[in-house]
Amino acid sequence: MTSSSWLPAQLTSMAHNVDLLFYIMLGIITFFFVVVEVLLITFLIRYRRTKRNQVGVNVHGNNVLETVWTLIPALILVFMGAYSVKYVYEAQNPPAKPLVIEVIGHEWFWEFKYPNGLDTHNDLRIPAGQNVLFDIHSADVIHGFYIPEARIQQDALPGRMTQFWVNVDTKDIGKQFQVPCDQFCGTGHPIMVGKLTVMSADDFNSWMQTELQKQQTKS
Amino acid sequence: MEAVLHAPRRSFVREWVLTVDHKKIGIMYGVTALFFFLIGGLFALLVRTDLLSYRGVFDAQSYNEFFTMHATVMVFLVIIPMLMGAFANYLVPLQVGARDMAFPRMNALSYWLYFVGGIIILLSMLYGMPDSGWTSYPPYSLTSQGPGMDFWVMAIHIVGLSSILGAINIIVTVHRMRAPGMTWNRLPLFVWSTLVTAYMQLFATPALAGAVTTLLLDRHFGTAFYDTSAGGDPMMYQHLFWFYSHPAVYIMIVPAFGIISEVIPVFARKPIFGYHAIAYSSVAIGFLGFFVWAHHMFVAGMQMSAGIPFMISSLVIAVPTSVKIFNWLATMWRGAVEYTVPMMFASLGFIGSFIIGGFSGVIVAAVPLDMHLHDTYFVVAHIHYVLFGGAVMCIMAGIHFWFPKLTGRMYNEKLGYLGFWLYFIGTQVTFFPMHLVGLAGMPRRIASYAPIFQTWNQVATIGSYILGLGTLVILYNLMVSAKYGRKVGHNPWHARTLEWTVSSPPPEHNFEEIPVVTENPYRPYTPEELTASRESA
Repeated sequence: MTSSSWLPAQLTSMAHNVDLLFYIMLGIITFFFVVVEVLLITFLIRYRRTKRNQVGVNVHGNNVLETVWTLIPALILVFMGAYSVKYVYEAQNPPAKPLVIEVIGHEWFWEFKYPNGLDTHNDLRIPAGQNVLFDIHSADVIHGFYIPEARIQQDALPGRMTQFWVNVDTKDIGKQFQVPCDQFCGTGHPIMVGKLTVMSADDFNSWMQTELQKQQTKS
Repeated sequence: MEAVLHAPRRSFVREWVLTVDHKKIGIMYGVTALFFFLIGGLFALLVRTDLLSYRGVFDAQSYNEFFTMHATVMVFLVIIPMLMGAFANYLVPLQVGARDMAFPRMNALSYWLYFVGGIIILLSMLYGMPDSGWTSYPPYSLTSQGPGMDFWVMAIHIVGLSSILGAINIIVTVHRMRAPGMTWNRLPLFVWSTLVTAYMQLFATPALAGAVTTLLLDRHFGTAFYDTSAGGDPMMYQHLFWFYSHPAVYIMIVPAFGIISEVIPVFARKPIFGYHAIAYSSVAIGFLGFFVWAHHMFVAGMQMSAGIPFMISSLVIAVPTSVKIFNWLATMWRGAVEYTVPMMFASLGFIGSFIIGGFSGVIVAAVPLDMHLHDTYFVVAHIHYVLFGGAVMCIMAGIHFWFPKLTGRMYNEKLGYLGFWLYFIGTQVTFFPMHLVGLAGMPRRIASYAPIFQTWNQVATIGSYILGLGTLVILYNLMVSAKYGRKVGHNPWHARTLEWTVSSPPPEHNFEEIPVVTENPYRPYTPEELTASRESA
C-alpha cells in the first residue's frame, strides 16, 4: 500500500475507472457539502437573535422551492446510479479464457491454487497484462478476499463460489501488495493478510513450475 | 398551568418501580439508556485505546469482545430505547394532548423487558462475552465459545419484544388518543417521526427475531439453517438480519430528525419551513427504508448486478433526507436564531456533522465504490457520522431542550456549551480520519493493523477521549442541575407544542382538562406574546 490516507495505487484499468467515478461523486457531494455548510454558518450568523431582531419573518414554506430541492437531488442521485451501472457489469462479467486461480479462505490464512496444481499459503502471484479470474470460497467461516489496489473484494463463503477478475498493468511488475481479509472472522482476522506479487507472464510461468517441483519433491 | 401542589407522597417502589405513568417510564428509560451509554462508551474507549499502537494494546480476543459489546449496547440499549423509549414515551402523550399512553401497563412492561434485556447483556460479560460483532454472522457466530453468545441471542429477543410492544403503544396512542382538533396537519413533527418509526419497528423487528432464533437453533438444537454441508445458507441470515437492521438505522435517526424539527423553529423564532414536506419525507424514509437492506451485502455473494436495484433505492432515500435538511436551513433563514445549547447541538452539531454521514452514504451506496470501501474504516466513519454526529447530537439537543420540562430547572449554560464544543470537536477528530484510512484500504474490526495507518488512528483515539470527557461534562451538568439548577417556568423557550402549556414537571395526568387544539404548533410568539409570557414566568 502506497498511501496511508487516500486511495492506494491503481493496479488495473478498472481501479482507474472506479477512482474516476469516485472523484466525480466526491466532486458533486463536496459542492453540496460546501453549499449546506456555508448556508448553515451564514444563517446562524446573519440571522442571529439581537435586540432588533427578536422574531423571524412569518413564512411557512414555498412549494416551488420544495419541488426544486426535491427534484434536483433526485436527478443527480439517479444520474449517479445510472452512471455506476456500466462499471458493475464490467466488474461482473469475466473476459474470455482467463487464467483461473482458486482462492480459499481458512482460519486464518489464504490458500491459492494455481492452474498447474501448485498450492500456496498467503503467497499470491499474478502475471501482469493477463486476465486473471479468482474463484473464491471458504473452508470454514466467511472471509473477505480484498485487493485494495484493484478496488475490489468479494466475500469468501462456505458452500458458494464468488468471483472477480483483474488485469494488472505491466508497469507494476515486481511490486508487492497486501491482500487483507476484509470480513470479520475471529481472533486471527487482523493477521490474515496474504502477499500479492505482480510478475511478468514468463516469470510467473517459470515460478509456477519450479514451485510445483519443489512441493512435489518435498512430499 | 398551575403546578399540582398536593401530589401524594409515595414510596420509591410505588413511585417508580410500579409506575404506569408514561412520563416516569420515559425518565426511567432515559436514565437507564444514559447508564448504558456510559458502558457502551467505555467499550468504545477500550477499542480506541487498543488501536493506539498498530500492534494492538490488547489481545485480539478481548478487542473482538469490546467492539461487539460497544455496538450491541449502543444500538439496542442506548439509541433505540433513548429515542423510542425515553423521548417518545415522555413526549407523545403530552404532544398529542392525551393523559397517558393507550396501554399504560404494557408501557411499563416494555420498560422492564428492556431493563431485563440490558441486564442479560451485562451478565453475558461474566459468561464469555459475545465476540462475533453486533451483526453475529454465521458460521462464525455458531463457533463462538461459551454461553455469552446465547445470552446475546436471549437479550436481543427480549429487547426486541420490548421494542414491538412500545411501537404498538405509540401507534395506537397517536391514532386514537389525539386531543380534539389535533388533526394530522397539526400534529407536532416529533410525533409524525415517532409514528413512522413505530411502524418500522413493528414490521422490521420480527425479522431480527427470526435471524437470532435460527442462530440459536443451529447452535444447540442440531438444525442446519446455516450449515452449508447440510444444504443451509449463511446468506439467509444476512438477509434477515439486514431486513431489520437497515430499517433500524432509520429507527435510530427518524425520531432524531423529529427532535430537530421541534428545536430549530423554537430558537429561530420562525414557523417550521415546509411542515408537510418534513412530515411526508419521514413517511417516505419509513417506506423506502424497507427496500435498501441488501446494500450491506453487495460483496457478500450476491451477483454484483443484483445490487443495482438496491443501489438505486439507497441513493433515492437520500432525497427525503436532503429535503429535511433544506427545510431546516430555510427555517433558520430570516429567523432570529438564539444560540442556546440545544440549538447549538441541533444546528452546528447535528446538521453540520450529519450531512457528512449522509454524503458518505451516497458514496458507499454506489456498487462499484462499495466494492472497494465495503468493510473498511470508510464505512465505520459513515455510520458514526450518522449515529454519533446524527442521532447522539439530536439526543443531546433533545435532552437539553426538554430538561426544564422534566425537572422545572435549567441546566448550567456554561457547562452546556463546554459539553457541546467537546462533542462537536471530538466528533470530527475521532471520525473524520477514519474516512482517510478507509479509502486507503484499512479493514474494520481488526485489533492490529498495518503500521502506515498508525498516525491517523492515534488522532482518532485522542478524539474519542475528547468525546469521553464531553460525555462526563454533560452528564455531570444534568445531574447537578436537576437538583440545584435555576428554577424556570412552564415554558422557558416560548414554544407552542402542548407539553409547554402544562407545569414543569407536568402533573400526573398531564392535563386537568383535555386541550382543544385550534392551530399548527409552529406559529412563533409575537413580541406582545413574548412580553406576556416572560411576565407570567
